[in-house]
Amino acid sequence: MDENKRSPEMDGALLIDNDAASETKSSYSEVPLQEDGKAELACEMLIEILAHMDLQAEVTIRENAEEVVLDIKADDVGRIIGKKGQTLDALQFVINKIVNRFPEGRRHILIDCGDYRERRENGLASMARREAKRAMQQSRIITLEPMSPRDRRVIHLSLAKFPGVSTRSDGSGLDRRVRIIPSRRGPRGGGRFSRNREE
Amino acid sequence: MEQLRELIAFIAKSLVDDPDAVQVVAVEGEKTVILELTVAPSDLGKVIGKDGRTARAMRTLLSSTSARYSKRAVLEIIE
Repeated sequence: MDENKRSPEMDGALLIDNDAASETKSSYSEVPLQEDGKAELACEMLIEILAHMDLQAEVTIRENAEEVVLDIKADDVGRIIGKKGQTLDALQFVINKIVNRFPEGRRHILIDCGDYRERRENGLASMARREAKRAMQQSRIITLEPMSPRDRRVIHLSLAKFPGVSTRSDGSGLDRRVRIIPSRRGPRGGGRFSRNREE
Repeated sequence: MEQLRELIAFIAKSLVDDPDAVQVVAVEGEKTVILELTVAPSDLGKVIGKDGRTARAMRTLLSSTSARYSKRAVLEIIE
């Protein structure tokens, strides 16, 4: 859409990054701000879908080099977010499918509602720390419930510098879960039978 | 349940290659509405998605909307 409006510096940056992207097949995260009109398209589609859902809302675009965030402002916030954010996630999923219908120039669109995502990330991180402490105290692996890739990432990052545990994801597809593994592990079965660790 | 029918029609049309082939028929019962979605055979994968994720997302948006009418809405994708 705004192909011609790009400044020269940006063009250079884009070229370099496009090369890198095609070589490594890396994701959108390394591509600088693109004026490809996808953020605007996503915004329009989102407003239309919300209107069809009987939700009056205002949508603003927050865009940076790494991602496009569509922020929904509405009275009926609860219905937009849904249980555990499932309506928000469904909106995000559908919008990404629509906007990235063609493989070239894929961009990830995030949909947020006020500070919901941030609050949820903080909640996930503190849950992760709590469970990590439990894993260490009980010297056993703690497996969390299945989560989306993004949520799992939040857990991994929040425990990356947590001493005494490591994290790993296991399972496939929708059943992929994070496992919190204490570095000092007791005997199998959760350490209930206190056997001497150095046999 | 025109509202629900239009919601699904709009999303489906935005997802497929052949929007003209998209049809949504609402079959209304007492407490439930069944929405029968038909798309071009080549577009079936687009409305179902990997592991049915697209269909699941549409169902989530549908139930969030139908709850307002105190109705249960069921999305059926006709193959």
